Amino acid sequence: MFDRRKWLSVLIQGGGAALAAVVGIPALLAAISPAWRPRRGEQWRHAGRLEDFPLGTVKPAIVEVGRDDWARSLESKTVYVFRRSEDDVVVYSRNCTDLSCPLVFDAGSECFFCPCHGGIFGKDGKPMAGPPSKPLYRYVNRVREGELEIDLYSLPPMT
Amino acid sequence: MVAKVRAWVVDRFALQPVYDKLLNRRVPQAHWYSGDGSTLLALLGVQVVTGAVLALTYSPAADSAYQSVVYITEKQTLGWLIRGLHYWSAGAMMVVVTFHLLRQILFAGYKSPREGTWLTGVVLFLCILLMAYTGYLLRWDERAIHGIRVMLHMLVRVPLIGESLVMLVQGGPDIGPTTLTRLYGFHVLIVPLMMFLMVAFHVYLVVVRGTITRAERKQPVHSAEEQKQLYDQEKESQEHGETFYPVTVFKSGLTATLVLGIVIALTLILGPSKLFSEANLTEASIPSEEWWFWWLSGMIALLPPKIAPWFVVVFPLAVFGFLFLLPFADRSPVRGVRKRPLWVALVILIVILILGLTDYRRRSTFTGWPDAEPPPVPVGMELPPAAERGRILFAQYGCNSCHPVAGHGRKVAVDFASLQGQMSRDKIQEYILQPPAGVAMPSYKGRLNEDELTALVEFCHVVQTFPLQP
Repeated sequence: MFDRRKWLSVLIQGGGAALAAVVGIPALLAAISPAWRPRRGEQWRHAGRLEDFPLGTVKPAIVEVGRDDWARSLESKTVYVFRRSEDDVVVYSRNCTDLSCPLVFDAGSECFFCPCHGGIFGKDGKPMAGPPSKPLYRYVNRVREGELEIDLYSLPPMT
Repeated sequence: MVAKVRAWVVDRFALQPVYDKLLNRRVPQAHWYSGDGSTLLALLGVQVVTGAVLALTYSPAADSAYQSVVYITEKQTLGWLIRGLHYWSAGAMMVVVTFHLLRQILFAGYKSPREGTWLTGVVLFLCILLMAYTGYLLRWDERAIHGIRVMLHMLVRVPLIGESLVMLVQGGPDIGPTTLTRLYGFHVLIVPLMMFLMVAFHVYLVVVRGTITRAERKQPVHSAEEQKQLYDQEKESQEHGETFYPVTVFKSGLTATLVLGIVIALTLILGPSKLFSEANLTEASIPSEEWWFWWLSGMIALLPPKIAPWFVVVFPLAVFGFLFLLPFADRSPVRGVRKRPLWVALVILIVILILGLTDYRRRSTFTGWPDAEPPPVPVGMELPPAAERGRILFAQYGCNSCHPVAGHGRKVAVDFASLQGQMSRDKIQEYILQPPAGVAMPSYKGRLNEDELTALVEFCHVVQTFPLQP
């Protein structure tokens, strides 16, 4: 049987742990809650008039990003639009698929260059050099009444 | 009177035991290199003081953070100095903590009974890395925003919970104000609290368990008990022991002062780190990590595409796994450098790798980039008209985004000047129209008309006669 001393120490340790849990667990949950904040549905954004993207070329477009109610920063981002044919449009994320450094499109060589570790992608989005192994990310897009739109939520959250 | 007040303070604040147990104790003699720990403590002090001052002005809200850093740097009285000290002492901490860590591996400072000292040290190392990284992001300039994105892109590679981790760090479905606020809380509250606890614990263990001594390095030590005996002999001996205060403190204080002097000099000469334009996701940008992470970046650049995506997740885990398990894995009785050649070789290899990769990253010969400026013609040389036209086309078609010409420009692809006339016109033309499989060059088939192609070939051919610059 436990003696008095043993009982007391069990009570202290158990009670202390319980008290810590009462504050600690909600604190932890609140701190990590963004991890399961739903990123549901679709987020369609305008990317420009379709006629502004000449056939066969890659052109940057600036789209508004999804934002929190009270946020007033980083309101837009650049994507690359490749109009492959009359109604076939590919919209690339500007992320390098290696570590997401911002690519730049070189109209001369028709390649995307990554400024970080020498990644190079072709116009078709395929990796040509450097560490990247995956082709460029593509946003789901649609054309409505001549307006090109992309779904922001069709790509992972960090793109 | 003074003596009376002094006696009162010593008694009522119970300072005598502190003096007896901490300051006026015997310790084994310190070496010139054992001031690195005190140096880290001093640098941490600088970080705390300058960090606290910066926090009084810095605005952790995304729409004003950048402007507040500009204000601190340009307008606030001595703001540039405080920011500079914060930056350079952070850099110094990265260097000194690496030295400190490698030194413990070299001398087996992790062996019994100092496993606790080692483990708390590893946690502190992790904390310092986190601080160095998050501090860089708080500037909220374009490099910061891409720095965050790089981290998120590493996290998303973690199997199963990758996307949740990204959301956790960025504080919501997109990078934005919540991201900055979280990073700020992390940098000024959570990690510093952790560091405070760990530093206290680490220093306590250093006081109680001591640091590795000459005697331990000379003979095998089989148990913690044997070590404690040796340690006691060493510190009490006339020849190899000394009194902690003032002898040891003076020696390690000298090291700390020297490093602080370097930090102050760097701040005065170079100032705080450069601010780039405000964080945005629209402008073209050439992000770069801080110099203390250059080696890592250089290493990533050299990785083959098959390994690269895994490496960024596995490498940090492997390093810290190794560090945490080290005291349990290496239990041989020998310490010091003489009987542990493999460990010496490992440390030398690490140092060479860090320095070599840092230099490789500094030169960044692997990054192509558009450049509108046509390559220069060597002095005293005149090009035939076709080749001159080719020179203009060389830039227009982005050849110079990768190919240097006689040492000028990006050094990603081959420099024709280095070929010394080995490539015929036909061969060059063939290459331009259909580069061999596996070569990172786009095909120009269908993009050039006959004249343009001839001109380009002519230029590439004539470049082979350019003198190759050293």
